Amino acid sequence: MAEKKTKKETAPKKKEATKATAKAAPAAQKAPAKEQKKARVGVFICHCGTNIAGSVDIEDVQEYSKSLPDVAFADNYQYMCSTPGQKKIADAIKEHNLTGIVVAACSPRLHEPTFRTATKEGGLNPFRFEMANIREQGSWVHMHDREGATDKAKDAIRIAVAKASMLEDLFPKTVPVEKAAMVVGAGVAGMQAALDLANAGIKTYLIEKNPTIGGRMSQLDKTFPTLDCSQCILTPKMVDVGRAENIELMTCAEVEDVEGYIGNFDVTIRRKARGVLTPDEAEAKGIVGGGCNGCGDCEGVCPVIKPNPFEMGMKPRKAIYIYHPQVVPLIYTIDWDSCIKCGLCVDICGDKKAIDLEMQDELVKVKVGTAILATGYDMFPIEKKDEWGYKKYENVVNSLEFERLICASGPTGGHLVRPSDGETPKKVAFLLCAGSRDNTGVGKPYCSRFCCMYSLKHAHQIIEKIPGCQPYLFYMDIRSFGKMYEEFYYRIQDEGAKFMRGRVANVLEDPVTKNLIINAEDTLLNRPINLEVDMVVLAAAVQPAEETERTRKLFGVSRSMDGWLLEAHPKLNPCGTTTAGVFLAGVCQGPKDIPDTVASAEGAASAASIPIHRGEVELEPYFAQCIEEKCAGCGMCVNLCPYQALALVEKDGRKVMEVTEAKCKGCGTCGGFCPGGAIWMQHFATPQIIAQIDAFLVGGAK
Amino acid sequence: MREYAFFLGCIAPNRYPGAESASYKTSEKLGIKLLDLEGASCCPAPGAFGSIDLDIWYAMAARNLILAEQMKKDIALICNGCYKSIWEVNHKLKHHPELKERVNEVLKGIDMEFKGSIDVWHLAELFYDPEIVGLQKIRDSITVPLEGTRIAVHYGCHLMKPKKERHFGTTEHPTWIEEMVAALGAEPVEYRNKMLCCGAGGGVRGYDLVHSIDITNEKMINLKEAKVDALTEVCPFCQLQFDRGQIEIEEKFGVKYGLPVLHYCELLGLAQGMSPQELALDLHAVSCEPFLEKVL
Amino acid sequence: MARTKGYPEALDKKLADTRLYEDERHPDFTKTVEKVSMTIPHMCFQCGTCTASCPSAPRSSYRIRKFVRRALLGLEDEALTDPDLWLCTTCYSCTDRCPRDIAPTDVIMAMRNLAFKRDIVPVNFLKTVQAIYTTGHGVPNNDVNRAARQKLGLNAEPPTTHGFPQYVKGIQYILDYYELKKNADRIVKEREG
Repeated sequence: MAEKKTKKETAPKKKEATKATAKAAPAAQKAPAKEQKKARVGVFICHCGTNIAGSVDIEDVQEYSKSLPDVAFADNYQYMCSTPGQKKIADAIKEHNLTGIVVAACSPRLHEPTFRTATKEGGLNPFRFEMANIREQGSWVHMHDREGATDKAKDAIRIAVAKASMLEDLFPKTVPVEKAAMVVGAGVAGMQAALDLANAGIKTYLIEKNPTIGGRMSQLDKTFPTLDCSQCILTPKMVDVGRAENIELMTCAEVEDVEGYIGNFDVTIRRKARGVLTPDEAEAKGIVGGGCNGCGDCEGVCPVIKPNPFEMGMKPRKAIYIYHPQVVPLIYTIDWDSCIKCGLCVDICGDKKAIDLEMQDELVKVKVGTAILATGYDMFPIEKKDEWGYKKYENVVNSLEFERLICASGPTGGHLVRPSDGETPKKVAFLLCAGSRDNTGVGKPYCSRFCCMYSLKHAHQIIEKIPGCQPYLFYMDIRSFGKMYEEFYYRIQDEGAKFMRGRVANVLEDPVTKNLIINAEDTLLNRPINLEVDMVVLAAAVQPAEETERTRKLFGVSRSMDGWLLEAHPKLNPCGTTTAGVFLAGVCQGPKDIPDTVASAEGAASAASIPIHRGEVELEPYFAQCIEEKCAGCGMCVNLCPYQALALVEKDGRKVMEVTEAKCKGCGTCGGFCPGGAIWMQHFATPQIIAQIDAFLVGGAK
Repeated sequence: MREYAFFLGCIAPNRYPGAESASYKTSEKLGIKLLDLEGASCCPAPGAFGSIDLDIWYAMAARNLILAEQMKKDIALICNGCYKSIWEVNHKLKHHPELKERVNEVLKGIDMEFKGSIDVWHLAELFYDPEIVGLQKIRDSITVPLEGTRIAVHYGCHLMKPKKERHFGTTEHPTWIEEMVAALGAEPVEYRNKMLCCGAGGGVRGYDLVHSIDITNEKMINLKEAKVDALTEVCPFCQLQFDRGQIEIEEKFGVKYGLPVLHYCELLGLAQGMSPQELALDLHAVSCEPFLEKVL
Repeated sequence: MARTKGYPEALDKKLADTRLYEDERHPDFTKTVEKVSMTIPHMCFQCGTCTASCPSAPRSSYRIRKFVRRALLGLEDEALTDPDLWLCTTCYSCTDRCPRDIAPTDVIMAMRNLAFKRDIVPVNFLKTVQAIYTTGHGVPNNDVNRAARQKLGLNAEPPTTHGFPQYVKGIQYILDYYELKKNADRIVKEREG
């Protein structure tokens, strides 16, 4: 921190810029429109092929631009983003001695960086560039209104010119990046991301709320389309994670607080009291050779029996427990809600002294440069779609329960049985899109994306395990889009699964046999179906894991309408978020199967490692600046700042506000509020914005 | 005493007057006074009128609503079909200003204007609502508990469906009327496909009788399997379909069930000590005697 | 609907062209159905939940999914002339379960409204109209019932339009406003003479 401060104070250009703005500001208050030296703005209008030129009269707009105040030059080109297009900008700056550049083209989200570079190549400060969006907000939305689109393009350019004539030189700030990363969630996505980061030489904190890593994938029996055993391919990774030197694994842990910004996140982690010491923790306490060795003696004597959530509640566990034999780390955990503190476990643990019934939560602080969220998913509570009778009829299960029932290490040793009577089912119906593709407001409007494929796999598993058992798949569309997926569909159909093209309207239970009666329509035969089966498996929708909402807020990540975390760009930046330095891996961003999850995790790890390997990041200079002469030191802005970027400091014997630029996100909250007008928002300064509003209101295209 | 304008509809007053009579008497014991809604007509039948011209259905139902608006009383009613017309048109006109305007334009001719100043309730929901009556008050009002009887419930469609527009919660596995049956001392009995339609609605009873009673027969088969002593409902039109329908089923399909069908108000009347004569149970097509023998 | 080819009658029927042609589609029909029904059949993805919920489907050729499809495609003639249109009991089970949040029941009601404009309507619907026009009740009182009412201590006529017949005029005004009685009488006469 100390190092950074010096850097800030010695950045000479920055100082200059601050002074310039401080000088400009008071004058601007009196005459908001024009100050500074005589501006010379160049306007460049892009055709974007016919994307813009198809609905906007380019020539007309160019002539209009030339008539605007401060415009010294106007030009147009087929594709401004092309090399010749960019060269036009650089050449014109030199030739016409321009002070500001406006490109009227697409959204700044796409090409602002391109044109800033071109502006820089022409010898101007890149922040003297302003973009007018006449495509996404112009030609595309007014495709069939050439006159209107042309007028709107003129408005957009007039507004951009007003700002461009007042732009000032700005200089991005460089901050060092902590050489450590954090991954939140240790399912297959989080594990893969952490392994990649660790293997790239980055110290990685892997935070998992459960007592073991492994996530949803460790609950699965087999994986499609290859049918390899899920645990068999996952446990080597779990072991690697447990062993990796660069990974600091924290289970039973949750992120409690996040401060800071890319390169310098200060994260507080709550390590929940698990009531059991690891060998290392024991050693630290001076218990030689002690700590939990996973022997399980404690579990044997514990008198409290509870359902095991790992087994979807279908198998018991004790109040001191592990989820399953392959857990990493192999350390027992106490469930405080059910522990009666009888002390039997403490007694049997003996000299290992691993159990501490008085253990308290611990808060740990770590500093990381980047973070990856991999918080995964939960099953949608499908009982909300009450027409299928989940939680009402015993023999209706959801697909994760089915996974446990068919899994060799599951509660029934892999023998699929009906919950009502333990009998082996002979007819099983799989209901696809259960709660997905549902626009009623009860279910989820999206496709959950992996249910088709696992249902095919489920069908295969019962055909393989139970001779004569007939699977029926009630589907609307089979979405088998991945590599070797359609081939898998072919195989399962060949194996004898019956595909019924119709969504199930409701399920009724035979009160005597507890069999289930499926009502659907065979939409291909055009006939209603009445099918009695022994068991129903609901391929229920998935939804973001319960704690996603809390975690995303801590990291300042947005979510999309459907609740999944929002990527920076759905196609071109699917792992990034709008918060610099925070990335997304796996299903927390949207439903994904295992291959896509792992690919996304590797993408996120790669993206998260880039700032760390570069060692420093550039922050866009949209910082608030305090005009000290005007600041009354009231401090009201300090509390308003959502990023804790502001502080009151003593200067020349009085209190003034000071901005920690690296923390400032340029949101403008303080600038908008400051009663004395003492806060200058760089690049979005009050006079600049007023000039834009004036240009919009005063000048008309016609 | 809470006062409501009592919207009678057609079938209760003109075919099952016992249900009408029981409604006045039972609800009075539960703190509800039902007032005459003078000049009310058919709701009008949502199947027939809704099929022909929804605008006419809106206007005709609005006229009935306005009569209650003029009394400044909420409406209470005892028929699901009436509920569909009166509740739904009230709801639609309140929420679609252009519809209200269209309807008022017509009603101007008879000096009437829909204002949207009242609410509409099914008497059964008022009975169930603990803020109005509630199960405890029902229990307290009982003098002849219907002990030892197995009673199945037919909810009917137009009270609770479509569930998104209504406020009754699940339409797949409701139990609130069973709770009201249990409050009378009887044993409520579940049966297969409980929420299946009676078959009468949408004009189908008149359009294709055998089709209509074939649906009823499917329900009767399931009720027979559940070995019930009586079926109760909260809709005289469903009641008609089950009661007279059994005679028609016997005529057309040659199957006889003999299952007594009683409106919940009739059942409540019995439990509150009204005699079968006071309930005009002799007007029922299927004799209620086997059930009455168990009760009285 | 199948196209005839101008062959002799028997062959024309046997060999009718059953393919769907674009000119059978009336996009306005989709829009009109949506306006009258206040729901969105154009969003149907043909899952069959409606048909499977339908009490009429298992005992007839009535497929509500097909009607919603016809609404979506604008197959006006095929929809309105199909006698199955009148087999919906309006139980709203399909509406409760439709994953696309369409109200198929209301699609049917809208189509029946449009059919009525072409005089396509079963007479029993019109007889209900006639009864209401005369008495205010779709199911009017009768002598057996009057006697029973009196035994119960009720008035022989309920306090509805039966007890207060002066209110019938208002009802007649509304029905006449839409010329419903006139049309009902005309259609019943055409069918029954």
